[in-house]
Amino acid sequence: MATEQTASPADQAAGTPEDIIVVENIDKWFGDFQALDDVSLTIKEHEIVVVLGPSGSGKSTFIRCLNRLEEHDSGRIFVNGIEMNDDVRNLNAIRSEIGMVFQQFNLFPHLSVMSNITLGPQKVRRMARQEAEALAMQLLERVGIPEQAEKYPAQLSGGQQQRVAIARALAMQPKIMLFDEPTSALDPEMIKEVLDVMRELAQSGMTMIVVTHEMGFAREVADRLVFFDEGAVVEQGTPSHFFENPQEERTKLFLSQIL
Amino acid sequence: MTNEMPVPDPAGGGIAPPRARRVVLPPYRQRAARPRSVRAREWLRQNLVPSPTGTLLTVVTFAVLAAILGIVAWFIFSYANWRVVTDNRWLLFAGGFPHDQEWRLWVGLGFVFALVGASYGMWSSFGRRDILFMVPASAFGVFMLAHGGAALWSTLWFAGAVVLLAVAYFACRRVPREHGPGRTLAVRALSAVLMLSVPIVFMVLMAGGGADSDELSGYLLNLLLAPAGIVGGIFVGIPLAVGRASKLRAISWSCTFYIETVRGAPLIGWLFVALFILGDIIGGDLIVRTMIVLAVFTGAYMAEYIRGGLQALPRGQYEAGHAVGLPYWRTLQLIILPQALRISIPPIVGQAISLWKDTALISIILPLRELIGSSRSAIAQGEFITNRIEVYVFAAVMFWIISFIMSRVSQRIERSLGVGER
Ligand SMILES: Nc1ncnc2c1ncn2[C@@H]1O[C@H](COP(=O)(O)OP(=O)(O)OP(=O)(O)O)[C@@H](O)[C@H]1O
Ligand SMILES: [Mg+2]
Repeated sequence: MATEQTASPADQAAGTPEDIIVVENIDKWFGDFQALDDVSLTIKEHEIVVVLGPSGSGKSTFIRCLNRLEEHDSGRIFVNGIEMNDDVRNLNAIRSEIGMVFQQFNLFPHLSVMSNITLGPQKVRRMARQEAEALAMQLLERVGIPEQAEKYPAQLSGGQQQRVAIARALAMQPKIMLFDEPTSALDPEMIKEVLDVMRELAQSGMTMIVVTHEMGFAREVADRLVFFDEGAVVEQGTPSHFFENPQEERTKLFLSQIL
Repeated sequence: MTNEMPVPDPAGGGIAPPRARRVVLPPYRQRAARPRSVRAREWLRQNLVPSPTGTLLTVVTFAVLAAILGIVAWFIFSYANWRVVTDNRWLLFAGGFPHDQEWRLWVGLGFVFALVGASYGMWSSFGRRDILFMVPASAFGVFMLAHGGAALWSTLWFAGAVVLLAVAYFACRRVPREHGPGRTLAVRALSAVLMLSVPIVFMVLMAGGGADSDELSGYLLNLLLAPAGIVGGIFVGIPLAVGRASKLRAISWSCTFYIETVRGAPLIGWLFVALFILGDIIGGDLIVRTMIVLAVFTGAYMAEYIRGGLQALPRGQYEAGHAVGLPYWRTLQLIILPQALRISIPPIVGQAISLWKDTALISIILPLRELIGSSRSAIAQGEFITNRIEVYVFAAVMFWIISFIMSRVSQRIERSLGVGER
């Protein structure tokens, strides 16, 4: 496979095969503001990681580094054994393994729901149109809105749009899904329909990294919680560790504020 | 245009809104149904005689309008000697076009009419207003074009072009309106022909023993130069707009330099460049050089309008493109540009209209005789020396017709693009 050829011997040292994402000591600066400070994290295949932290703590910056919507300044990132660097082939290989769902949905408003979903498979995976459309219908059923295929994004409710966005990401058949506050822009009554889809996805064995403030979801679905503050990982552990027995002062303070 | 945001859908997973407290109003028409005379009186009262001052204003306005209309009617029907136009129709429309190649003009006209019909059929439909415009316009066209002994033939040719328009219209009406493979294919084919239409018309007019380039003049020349400048300008403008937004300084600075330089001098100056400097450097046909200059000039303006569209798009659109695995150029092509171009349609059409009228400048400094140049030739014949006003009024109307059509088409496009916009 092409992906293995691009990995140098040094890369193999990074983590065991089931470590699908390995982040080693990354820093990220915006001008003279340090948004990420020596962050290291290893994520196993099929793991559900929920990232928590106060506003401005670098959660978005961190998960955007994982598909290079932001470039890290130092340290190394491996996804599926491939190093994230200036090599465009590596980047394309990595991006085709990672799907992303944004807070603001970011659907393509000039395309129908169907075309939003089939665009990636057709243009990147070179899938035939019929095949891509069949896949899209299957995914729309999975997120519960098959009847909306011919509508445009502006004609859908927020929750429906976010479910289309999830279907669009899944259409690339990624191994990993990144969610950056997927329910924060939604009205309360629509949050549940999106979380239900994510819960189902988690049960299906997808590797997921989720930034969210939905503590119920985190407690129920996460294998591991990671708490960020001021650009660094302050504490991590299982939900029970986190909610019943947090160690760090900053974690306790944060949890006391949001629970 | 925004569509109503949350569309509660009873069938799907959408959460059904509580429906109990919906107030049911009688249908709008039922409430509006008052006797016609009452409604007319009401309208009069509200719009024309609302108050003493308002009534006075209405009266004054009508008086001024009537005076103007009277003068215009007097000019058209009594004062003016339209023979300067009717006797010179060939000169004004086709200038030096060889008479024995007349069929090429008609074939060109038929092609353009077919494209108009096809575009209408594909993206719009004829309404009553279109017909109201087209019938007098066609009558005027026949009257102007049917000249001398060949009047019958000209009328037949013109009728043929109208038939082509209708056939193309009804053929394209049969293409399904919804998105689908059939429609995509038809739209692509039509777009390709539209994009190539300027060179195709040139081929029809010139290839294989047709007109020489120095025989292209009159209104025909305006009709050839302006589309070349507009289409060329869009093709120049897109890469400039993208380049100006580039992260690579060398590229963005070069594009900025180009845009600011071109916009810094008036069109007349650039036409001089076409005549002298370009003539010395690349030589070639003056018409081609003029087209290049028009495209280069318009491109700088188009670039700025398109850049406005690019900037109006949120960064999330690029990010979503990358996140589904599209590389930068594909994201640009499939996601960013289609949206940016839609946003910039109104200013782009404005620029197109402006360029259309600017083609009147060409014969002021270039030895090309477009409509204004032909008008001067018409006057210069001793017989019509006192009829300059008539010729220029005619020329103005001819410019107005196309400008009017372009602005209507732009409104149409804007309205029909309402679907699916944020
Ligand atoms: N493009 C940028 N340029 C400059 N500063 C930035 C940029 N993006 C983020 N930052 C800064 O980096 C810090 C971390 O931002 P980030 O968006 O990662 O926070 P977050 O944890 O996701 O916060 P929130 O919960 O509000 O989304 C913030 O202080 C932010 O102001
Ligand atoms: Mg964030």
